[in-house]
Amino acid sequence: MNQKIILQNVSKRYRIGKSSLNIRSLFKNKKSEEKFHWAVKDINFNLGAGEALGIIGPNGAGKTTILKLLSRVTFPTSGKIELNGRYSALIELGAGFHPDLSGRENVFLNGTILGMRKAEIEKRFDQIVDFAGIEKYIDTPVKRYSSGMYARLGFSVAAHVDPEILIVDEVLAVGDMAFQKKCYDRMLNLIRNGTTLVFVSHNMRAIQKVCSRSIVLYRGTMAYEGSSSDATAEYSNILRKAASENSETELENLSDGIGQRIMTQKAIIEKVEIYRDDGLPCHSYQSGETALVRAYVKFLESAQSPVIACSIRDPEGLIVYDFTTEWAQIKTPDFEANTKAIIEFPLELNLSSGTYQLGVNLAYKDLSRYYDRIDRALDFAVSSSSGSRGISDLKANIKIMNESGNPL
Amino acid sequence: MYSGQQKISFFNYKELLFAWTSRIIRARYQQSILGGLWAIVQPIATVLIFTVVFSYFLKVDTGKVPYIVFSYTAMVPWLFFSTSINEMVESIVSNMNLVAKIYFPREILVFSTLLARLVDFLIAFVLLIILIIIYKVPVNLPVWLFIPVILVCQISLALGIGFFASSINVFFRDIKHVFTLIMQLWLYATPIIYPISIVPEKFKNIYFLNPMVGIIEGYRAILLYGKMPDISFVFSLIISVVVLLLGYTFFKKIEFRFADII
Repeated sequence: MNQKIILQNVSKRYRIGKSSLNIRSLFKNKKSEEKFHWAVKDINFNLGAGEALGIIGPNGAGKTTILKLLSRVTFPTSGKIELNGRYSALIELGAGFHPDLSGRENVFLNGTILGMRKAEIEKRFDQIVDFAGIEKYIDTPVKRYSSGMYARLGFSVAAHVDPEILIVDEVLAVGDMAFQKKCYDRMLNLIRNGTTLVFVSHNMRAIQKVCSRSIVLYRGTMAYEGSSSDATAEYSNILRKAASENSETELENLSDGIGQRIMTQKAIIEKVEIYRDDGLPCHSYQSGETALVRAYVKFLESAQSPVIACSIRDPEGLIVYDFTTEWAQIKTPDFEANTKAIIEFPLELNLSSGTYQLGVNLAYKDLSRYYDRIDRALDFAVSSSSGSRGISDLKANIKIMNESGNPL
Repeated sequence: MYSGQQKISFFNYKELLFAWTSRIIRARYQQSILGGLWAIVQPIATVLIFTVVFSYFLKVDTGKVPYIVFSYTAMVPWLFFSTSINEMVESIVSNMNLVAKIYFPREILVFSTLLARLVDFLIAFVLLIILIIIYKVPVNLPVWLFIPVILVCQISLALGIGFFASSINVFFRDIKHVFTLIMQLWLYATPIIYPISIVPEKFKNIYFLNPMVGIIEGYRAILLYGKMPDISFVFSLIISVVVLLLGYTFFKKIEFRFADII
């Protein structure tokens, strides 16, 4: 029995509509129907010491509800939650901070709310202040802090609670890159020392960095569970499915590229194929070979000069190659409604050996939305005999010479 | 259903209780010139108004004790009682962002609100002692040892009401207004600005159902007449303990719904 967190068939129902009665509804004498909404349904997972779980999903998928359940702020409607060990929840940075009190006073206040004893806080006080990097302002009321300083101090306190279970909501979006990196390092450090971590984020890179396993939530249910890189890829498929169900879905910061945008499905990428230059479909290539990517697109409505893009990622989600007609300043034609088109890209695969994911997407001319986007249309493998490592094969044709330039 | 090794008890959160109490006090007097002196300004001002009315306009007989000492003795515990209840009613709702985000026993918010007012009470009590000395009221120090018992009784009553009111206020914000009204009426139903002797005999039975009567009369008996409280205090004590137990049980039963409603 080494499990730190066990969730069994956990569901949470909220009542929607009017939350409480008032005089007017009493006099109406009409029993208004109670409506319910399942925020999360049948969630199951177990985590042991030193394990980290990422939770991803679009807005309203139930991520925050799970965090609230894990931190005991709210209770499940049904199911069982077991938490073994001292936990610290970071759902909001600087919870309980009072604007009029100094940074010092707030560190103690926030620390006690998170369950630390006064003596423990005193022992770690210098570390906390040092981590936040605000030594100079520690006796200033926090209302005079910048939002970045405020968040840094908040994270710093929570990260020094030394919890057995740490629950982190997407709160690291604040702060500069250097501080974010510090936060991720701190989380990794805690995991190595046996802390169980649950991390909710829209930042796929961060999730992949910190968590080995992830679940994808969609409409309150677990749509996928697996390795973080697979979950990230699966997430885009789920978004795509969602987009075809109801017309518009928000695409959260799916890694880089065109950030938080919308998929309209007014044009659909029906099929993506990859061929060798002799015309045969093939999924494994020699480094340096040319592959032909062909995408079949169906336009449901007319599209004016859409931006066509293709990307290649490694299994960690790192973008190896990204191409768009916008960056290349290629003018694409206009397409009529109910027409089909075939798009071809020949790609010179100067890649190191490994597997890669090919993605294709189609965006509006002004880049405001996507027609369709598939981050992982297909996988292919590259093998290389050059003995190089990394992601690209730059064909180092090594020569070794003496001083006068003669080969040795 | 939750389970697991970590049982959260009020005791584990003792430090949070004190930290939160000191947060309330410090925040209250931050950027204020008089600071803690405000704790005595309010009872003095109230008592001065009633002194003018009842010593000059409508003469009230308070025996050998001057009216100002007579009413201040009751006004200090009363203001502690009424102010803390009015503040406790809102203690959950006004910290909703915390309640919705972090788990800790919610009764800490209620209890610390009361404790923060206890500090004001103690400051005002020091002035009461000074008044007693200035006006040469005879003092019987051994009976003063009973004051903590009255204080605990009063705190139990206030806390019990505070638990009830603060949890219902989460669901119906009307409670806040209801309690402002109740506390105003309650002041006149308790012998604070007048002596109990002017209450007509035929109402006395109902009058003593008010647990604050025994408590206020208890303070006066000890501080002004050097006597132990009479039997009506025992009744107040029983009522207070029952109210506290009921209030706390109710609060714990309903507590888990706060975060969803807020």
